[in-house]
Amino acid sequence: MSFNEADVQAALKNLIDPNTKKDFANGKSLKNIVISGNDLSLDILLGYPAQSVWKELSSLIETHLKSALPGAGKISVNVSSKVVPHAVQQGVKLVDGVKNIIAVASGKGGVGKSTTAVNIALALAAEGARVGMLDADIYGPSQPTMLGIDGQPETDGANFMKPMTNHGLQAMSIGFLIGTSDTPMIWRGPMVTQALDQLLRQTRWDNLDYLIVDLPPGTGDIQLSLAQQVPVTGAVIVTTPQDIALLDARKGLKMFEKVGVKIVGIVENMSTHICSQCGHEEHIFGSGGGGKMCADYNTELLGNLPLDIHIREQTDSGTPTVVADPDGKVAKTYKQIARRIAVKIAEMAQNHNAVFPKIVVQNT
Amino acid sequence: MSEHPTEIKLHQQSHLLEITFDDEACYRLPYEYLRVYSPSAEVRGHGTGQETLQTGKKNVGVVEVLPVGSYALKIVFDDGHDSGLYTWEYLYALGQNQVEWWLQYLDRLAAAGQRREADCEQELTGGCGGGCGHA
Ligand SMILES: Nc1ncnc2c1ncn2[C@@H]1O[C@H](COP(=O)(O)OP(=O)(O)O)[C@@H](O)[C@H]1O
Ligand SMILES: [Mg+2]
Repeated sequence: MSFNEADVQAALKNLIDPNTKKDFANGKSLKNIVISGNDLSLDILLGYPAQSVWKELSSLIETHLKSALPGAGKISVNVSSKVVPHAVQQGVKLVDGVKNIIAVASGKGGVGKSTTAVNIALALAAEGARVGMLDADIYGPSQPTMLGIDGQPETDGANFMKPMTNHGLQAMSIGFLIGTSDTPMIWRGPMVTQALDQLLRQTRWDNLDYLIVDLPPGTGDIQLSLAQQVPVTGAVIVTTPQDIALLDARKGLKMFEKVGVKIVGIVENMSTHICSQCGHEEHIFGSGGGGKMCADYNTELLGNLPLDIHIREQTDSGTPTVVADPDGKVAKTYKQIARRIAVKIAEMAQNHNAVFPKIVVQNT
Repeated sequence: MSEHPTEIKLHQQSHLLEITFDDEACYRLPYEYLRVYSPSAEVRGHGTGQETLQTGKKNVGVVEVLPVGSYALKIVFDDGHDSGLYTWEYLYALGQNQVEWWLQYLDRLAAAGQRREADCEQELTGGCGGGCGHA
């Protein structure tokens, strides 16, 4: 029995991508169907980085096609990922070399915003994405320490700096320029926004799929003007059970809403305690706060991390959990959260401006 | 459909618009084909079967193309027609269905007893003069 392209499309309509919960037969992912005789080959292009499951997905799809197309001979499915730019707030200038910016924010300091940001960045990189980290937290730049990066960035021409690199990430931090251990600088609003605009736009980012921005905590004027000036694809809010109770996180959500930034979801940090002696996990602050807040605001709870001394030790010593213990339970949770963020971003509206075509007139 | 063009080239001698999409599909669309399949209301009418058959556009040229928002092109043809908005989606479809749609057009022309070549008497402007080469 022979088959044609339409049969292949129909077969893939019935197969759901476990990550996106959508079928593979859409024009975005299904490419290059080639039928020669009874043999079939095709490409599946995922909109999110997922290097670790390409093989698994391709055999899943091949098996499905084999049973759906009884007449088929050799079937080969080539799975890969391509991240494209998605829309940002209207009227904000894009950043060269960066496809998508993910802002990580929190209603107050000390909730684990930087820890979450760096582990999400490393999880995306582990899936094959090109990822950068911009540490914009002027009050407590901690990415140099968390990424184990020392020293100062090199300049690139008169107006640019080269990002520092470690663990496969490109990084820029206000800490590289002012030092992390000194007495904290006193910042006035305009200085901050100017300094951050420079860090963002005068760093020579090299073809990033995602730039993660570790924003200063809080919901004041500085945060507000940053949220307006950085072209953000989506924001992730980090909370703890206490600050949910204190409504700080809710203020964060509202701030982004006000400036037209989409919220990807909420990460609840330190929601349970893992006993360092016996490994037992318990809810010390009561459970369900993050879930309730997400329901109230119609956003997604992306995941929760336990209060675990290893997270602190690993992250604060320059080797965050996702690289220190990549197959452990905590790293898995970070990876799931990162996957979910990437899938949600892939589903957002594409940034048409970023791919507006060149128009060339030729005498040919 | 979510494909977007990355480059558009106008080949003014060969009368072809070459368009490359971000899925790497690349189509070379003759100006005549674009003109007779203009999505404007003038050409399309209001629904299937309402189309006005475009004839005599074999040598039609393109004066310029202009971006419309970030989703479409406006093509200004040298016969004065400029009311069609060619969305990325429509241009992609024109590329994908090029052979089929072109043959359909030729069939419709033949059925109507019309030709691709410009015919002086039918030109609205009537300004064909001696330059057109037809008797
Ligand atoms: N889930 C966690 N379990 C244990 N310690 C954590 C956890 N998340 C963060 N920490 C630690 O808490 C401290 C504050 O975290 P940090 O990410 O710097 O917070 P923020 O950026 O919100 O100020 C750091 O020492 C960090 O290692
Ligand atoms: Mg921090």
